[in-house]
Amino acid sequence: MVYIGPLILGFIIGFVIGIRIKPSIGSKLNFPASVYVILAIVIVIIAYQQGPFPWYTDSVFANGLISALAGIIVGKLTFGRG
Amino acid sequence: MTTTILKLFVFPASLILICYGILTILGGHITPGGGFQGGAIIASGIIFCLIVYGLDESPIKLSDNFMASIESIGALGYIFLGLAGLFTTGFFMYNLGVDIYHIVPPYIVNIFDYPDPLHAGIIPYLNFLVGLKVLVGLSAVVITFLESDKLLKNMESK
Repeated sequence: MVYIGPLILGFIIGFVIGIRIKPSIGSKLNFPASVYVILAIVIVIIAYQQGPFPWYTDSVFANGLISALAGIIVGKLTFGRG
Repeated sequence: MTTTILKLFVFPASLILICYGILTILGGHITPGGGFQGGAIIASGIIFCLIVYGLDESPIKLSDNFMASIESIGALGYIFLGLAGLFTTGFFMYNLGVDIYHIVPPYIVNIFDYPDPLHAGIIPYLNFLVGLKVLVGLSAVVITFLESDKLLKNMESK
């Protein structure tokens, strides 16, 4: 059984920050989708190494970390397109 | 001076910092850390971007309205949870999700219960709200400094 509390709260905070990630007008900075793919891989590795934080036993991952990144990406894709 | 390496590295690193800050908030009722510490870690990720990319080119843009809204939601939510305990039991900030004195009807306990193995009640929600407030508050300090610096340069040029 996966505990839903950290998943929802982590997703909400990530979403709130994700909606503010917007490209600047006239800027040469460009962060394509590959940045987020690599970031997702890194976060999954960190979450696996960390284990079910804090002291949960529901999965092998730190679910809050993964839901936070999911919230950031969903927020960026929905409202953060600029 | 901002180099290309910094510009490539800082945004992904700040996102990892933000995720770590969120994880600190989520474990606040069990482990050391909590709303303030997690909010400060998230703010450090945002400030990292602001310092390296500058206020105009930072990928994470916090507008005035956004900051005011999130800070208000954090403060009002905190007060709401406190008043909910006061109106239900007579004790301000009574932990309705745990109900240690067994004076609250079960359906109210179920509403404020936090779904994890410890059932910490309103404590994780308070951490969440404090985290929102702190992440915006600390970022606002740096944004104000950067804006005032820009303003001073404009005044000097005139």
